Amino acid sequence: MGNREMRKQLAALTFSEKVRLLEKLRARSLAFAEARKKRKKSEDIPSGTPKHNQK
Amino acid sequence: MKETLELINQMQADGVIGDYAIGGAVGAMLYLEPAATLDVDVFVALPTTKGGLLSLAPIYAYLEARGCVVREEHIVIGGWPVQFISPRDDLEREAVAAAVAAEVDDTATRIMSAEHLVAIALRTGRTKDHARILQFLEQDAVDSKKLETLIDKYGLRSKWEQFRHRFLGDPRG
Repeated sequence: MGNREMRKQLAALTFSEKVRLLEKLRARSLAFAEARKKRKKSEDIPSGTPKHNQK
Repeated sequence: MKETLELINQMQADGVIGDYAIGGAVGAMLYLEPAATLDVDVFVALPTTKGGLLSLAPIYAYLEARGCVVREEHIVIGGWPVQFISPRDDLEREAVAAAVAAEVDDTATRIMSAEHLVAIALRTGRTKDHARILQFLEQDAVDSKKLETLIDKYGLRSKWEQFRHRFLGDPRG
């Protein structure tokens, strides 16, 4: 299925169905953001820092 | 989202707010395919204080009493950050008044018409607004007569022609 056709099919869904998809998209975006935040936090800890100094 | 809309409807039934209309990406979703967004824009006539200032305080007091939490310019209702926006001008006031009925799993709500969403996006004019207008046009989701009427009524003709020239290759723009 082409991109345009897929978008057309998605647009034709009921508003309730679209909201359910939107909620999934949002949950995924939030999970990505959380993972990025965690990764950044671990990168911010210098590699030589003793474990008991890491929070 | 259903819980979010139920609480907004309850707030309306309790007289805290009058008519409202969902705009932005969630509003556009009634007509287009879903696009990721993190918040809900609710346009609502805000009550005025004794001094004549518009105030979100009654809305926030009502919602905070029901467990909602303020986060920057949003208040989180049913897990969704919601931004209450007072209509800034006649176009936005008309968009609220002319909103269309929609439902999310039997919960009623009101959403701006496709033409009002496009007119507001045209006026706002950010890259993401232009992208959304293109989606509306590509999916034939607007009544062009109604849109043209709004464009003339709200002085958006030159913006519309610039948009058409830039994105649709219309030589008239």
